[in-house]
Amino acid sequence: MGHHPFTWYDLLPAALQGVLPLQIFFSVVSMVLLVCLALGARRRLLDSHNAVIPSDRITLVNIFEVLTEFVGGLSDSIIGHKGRAYLSLYGTFFIFILVSNFIGLVPGFSPPTSNLNVTLGLGLISFGAYHYMGIREHGGSYLRQFMGPFVVIAPLFFMIEMFSHMFRPLTLGLRLAFNMFADHLVVEIFTGLTYVVIPVLFYLLGALVSVIQAFVFTLLSMIYASLAISHDH
Amino acid sequence: MKPLIASVFSGLFLLILSGVAVAAEAASGNSASMVPGIIALGAGLGIAIAAFGCALAQGRVGGAAMESIGRNPNSADKIFTPLILSLALIEALGIYALIIAFILAGKV
Repeated sequence: MGHHPFTWYDLLPAALQGVLPLQIFFSVVSMVLLVCLALGARRRLLDSHNAVIPSDRITLVNIFEVLTEFVGGLSDSIIGHKGRAYLSLYGTFFIFILVSNFIGLVPGFSPPTSNLNVTLGLGLISFGAYHYMGIREHGGSYLRQFMGPFVVIAPLFFMIEMFSHMFRPLTLGLRLAFNMFADHLVVEIFTGLTYVVIPVLFYLLGALVSVIQAFVFTLLSMIYASLAISHDH
Repeated sequence: MKPLIASVFSGLFLLILSGVAVAAEAASGNSASMVPGIIALGAGLGIAIAAFGCALAQGRVGGAAMESIGRNPNSADKIFTPLILSLALIEALGIYALIIAFILAGKV
């Protein structure tokens, strides 16, 4: 952990490096990449004749359709039809975390999601989102589920529920950050040890871990939202 | 019961062995610099035990999933999502131990 491998961030002038930390730089790279891909896909969808006819090759629109259908199906099976209003949020979580994780596999880039600041920010957004959805669904009686089954034990139950709720964005952020950090470190070490064939296996592991972590983050956000919206009394 | 007793005894044996090793190192070197060694030992043992526990738990989850898919191959798609979720949640526990191991290894 002592040496610092080369990333494109090192080419920036020192004044810019003082203002822009490493993870913000690569977050911006990931965002610009996603915006360019989205604009490229939009160009095809604007032509209304071609929009509804799917192409039979692998195009950008098809890839985005696969991802959206995946997130939409997941949302339908977990939250139900009320989750369709928030599909853009969960799609953003999934696609942004997926692309940010994949960026780390390219030599010279560092995944922005390997930094705790980025992932805790995403966790806080997920936290705020499911509370917002719960309040919008239940109104003021959203707090009723923090009181527990009996009013008598409400203070104790409130403490317990508060702990478990505070724990959620923390674990979401920690899990993603340290999975990405450890995986990036493993790829780095093994590429430094054996230069040619063996790192391919670790790239496969890295790709798998990236996809799984993006999936788990989105899935857990949806599960928390479904718990907040649920009418189980 | 027998594997439990065997693992408890092997754990005690390892502890006694490490105690002997620490005493030997303290006798040969100066005892004021023993703390970095203990910290490093704690980091290594911590992640080892955490990885062991995670492997056991994930093995059980994976085994149960394989068995239920084998019994009903059409349910493979429905089992896949809870399987991946369980594996990732158990993995997260090992990652928490890895965090502590990294923090400790940075203090050596």
